[in-house]
Amino acid sequence: MPETVLVIGGGPAGLEAARSVAAIGGRAILVERRGVLGGTPDESSYAALTPRMGSAQDALDELRAGVADPAIDVRLETLVTGCSGSVGDFSVSLSGPGGESSERVGAIVVATGFQHFDPGRETQMYGYYEYPDVITLPDAEKMLKEHTFVRPSTGEPPRNVAFIQCVGSRDRRIGNEYCSKVCCGVASKEAIEIRRLLPDTKVYIFYIDMRMYGYWENEIYWPAQEQYNVTYIRGIVTEIVGKDGRLLMKGEDTTMGRPLEVLMDVIVLSVGMEPSRGTRDVAGILGVDQNKYGFIATPGEPMDPVSTSVPGIFVAGAAAGPKDLEDTIGMAGSAAIRAVAAVRGQAPAQPAAAR
Amino acid sequence: MQRELPVIKVDGVTELEHAVVEGVDISGHWNRMFTQRSITEYPTEAMDWITGLEGGESLRNCYQCGKCVPVCPVNHVGDYGPRKLNAKVIRGNRLIDDPDLWLCTTCGNCYRVCPKEVNPIQFMPAIREQAVLEGNIPDELSDVFRNLQRTGNPMGESPRKRADWIAGAGVEIPVISQLDRPVDVLWYVSDYTSYHPRGQDAARAMARVLTALGVDFAILGPEERSDGDSARLAGETGLFELLAEQNIKAFSRYEFKRLVVMDPHAYNAFRNRYPALGWEGEVLHYTQFLAPLVDGMRFLSRVELDVTYHDPCYLGRNNGEYDAPRRLLEAIPGIRLAEMPHNRANGYCCGGGGGGMWLDGTVAGHVSERLSERRVREAVATVGTDGTGVLSVACPYEPSRFEDAVKSTGNDGRLVVRDIIELLDQAMQPPAA
Repeated sequence: MPETVLVIGGGPAGLEAARSVAAIGGRAILVERRGVLGGTPDESSYAALTPRMGSAQDALDELRAGVADPAIDVRLETLVTGCSGSVGDFSVSLSGPGGESSERVGAIVVATGFQHFDPGRETQMYGYYEYPDVITLPDAEKMLKEHTFVRPSTGEPPRNVAFIQCVGSRDRRIGNEYCSKVCCGVASKEAIEIRRLLPDTKVYIFYIDMRMYGYWENEIYWPAQEQYNVTYIRGIVTEIVGKDGRLLMKGEDTTMGRPLEVLMDVIVLSVGMEPSRGTRDVAGILGVDQNKYGFIATPGEPMDPVSTSVPGIFVAGAAAGPKDLEDTIGMAGSAAIRAVAAVRGQAPAQPAAAR
Repeated sequence: MQRELPVIKVDGVTELEHAVVEGVDISGHWNRMFTQRSITEYPTEAMDWITGLEGGESLRNCYQCGKCVPVCPVNHVGDYGPRKLNAKVIRGNRLIDDPDLWLCTTCGNCYRVCPKEVNPIQFMPAIREQAVLEGNIPDELSDVFRNLQRTGNPMGESPRKRADWIAGAGVEIPVISQLDRPVDVLWYVSDYTSYHPRGQDAARAMARVLTALGVDFAILGPEERSDGDSARLAGETGLFELLAEQNIKAFSRYEFKRLVVMDPHAYNAFRNRYPALGWEGEVLHYTQFLAPLVDGMRFLSRVELDVTYHDPCYLGRNNGEYDAPRRLLEAIPGIRLAEMPHNRANGYCCGGGGGGMWLDGTVAGHVSERLSERRVREAVATVGTDGTGVLSVACPYEPSRFEDAVKSTGNDGRLVVRDIIELLDQAMQPPAA
């Protein structure tokens, strides 16, 4: 019986899952498509992490250090290309720099993550591909990581910045009916970062509902409003047009029930989460069910958020739907324990909902 | 005799002894203000009632994001906004007695952006139907319903005169009952094209273009009835079904390959509604029929004009055809085509859809200007006022609506309104001497 767990994806979920497998005495093969570990927070150059504003790179370094372990075989630039067998004895094909190889593993943890929503698909008229000063949360993140925030069109600091929430989320028309969970917090966090960098810049967040659950309420939302003077407007923007070199946002202030037409210098679209290409591909290769949005289905929820439709294959992080890092790290530990237990033939009984 | 006024119970009254607003002394009862009353209940019956109607279901889905409001054409000229309907209904308003019930033109722009797919094109007719059943509709609308019932057209003209426009066309226009053979195209002329003087201009132009292209066509003539779609959207489902039955009976008497229509509302009805009532066949808007034929058109004149195009809601947004009309305009030699800011999927409604054509009096009390006037201003800003500007259209509701609006906005002689078919016809005629 192979005692190894295959962990697919080298982002926060995969790093933590591999580390946890080793921590409880198992062995892991960690495969990663890119040439570096760190996943989307690294690839998209995240600056600070929500809610406590610690450096994303420091956090990733810590996670990367966790897989420097003889029990973990890290394979970079490697893809999973095939899978057969069943719980306790899977045979997987890997394709990497050294060519094709086949590995026998007892269990699998999928940690293939999400991708940011492409604002070209939204049904409003935000002009992301038309106006350089219309950017996304990750675009802003890239600047903030370099400790700068400017109008891309001029390189000058903006006077007025607006965030527009729920772009590509909570939308039946687009097909993404779910809330992406982190964008309210991330937008508020970026708003704080902008206000720290540019104290004279006015920052607005236009929202439908602010969804700041748990401690994000007091750790991000309230400080943004109370200490950093970020202005929250319950209102919606349906159109952005260029005017005299700036951006005119048109919409409705829904609290006042009046139309709004406001000039901004930079508009940040709070794009949500969609399953990454890796998540879609790997789901097909492993034969695990996906939900209607393409994320990996977790039929045992709410009591079992990590089991997939295939025994012995588990999922962690945003491959299973919109997750913040707290969710992701928690799931990774849980998936690691379940995977090692499956390898050892001690799979805990599945909760009733999963059967 | 003094009228007995209803007593309004309020929590408190404020009246300033000396009040001056913008230099005007309004001391006394002019400045009397009532303290706001608290909302003391949120009755759920109104929402239950509307969502219990067939077509009313989606009104409940609204989560008050407000995306609908800025894209609503009526909101641009007034206080109306789709999300506000949900808010009113949640507070117990059935909308039956609310002017809002008649302001929606079913243009569909809110539905286009709605993340919850709340659909006024369905719930408005559903609620209006109840208003019709309760006999609680504006007089001007019931007059039109009566005309449609009696004569098969909204103006109340004699159905026998439906093809009288033929006379001035200058070409032969076969009426299908007088032909003893199948035809390629049955041309459904529609109401305003048959009876309204400006519509008749378009009909005659269409006849000449079809003839010049050698199309094998015929019309129904006096057997044609209104398609009924706007009556349906204004709440008269029964009348719609009656008219549809009459048209379907006429269609089934004759053999033809496809139906070509002038009116996007008829296009919508035949394409999306008649199949459920028993008629199915190929139906094309005239721009869709003619666009593939542009290479065979012989243009004898240049039409040196600055033209912008108004997308009809029921051809464009609600049925997805944006390109065919533009292909025709682009084919006409001399035309310089310019787009208005609101175009294609975001086209601005003329105000005539969903019964709006017959509700101008009712709507007038709730808007600062007509939608058609606002659209004309947009056209003027796009093609200028030096006399070469044209607002081109592809719906028979529009020439009369927009020509009125050209006058009322003071643009008479500065902008003209032309159906695309009139521009095509003009280009296919030899230059005027």
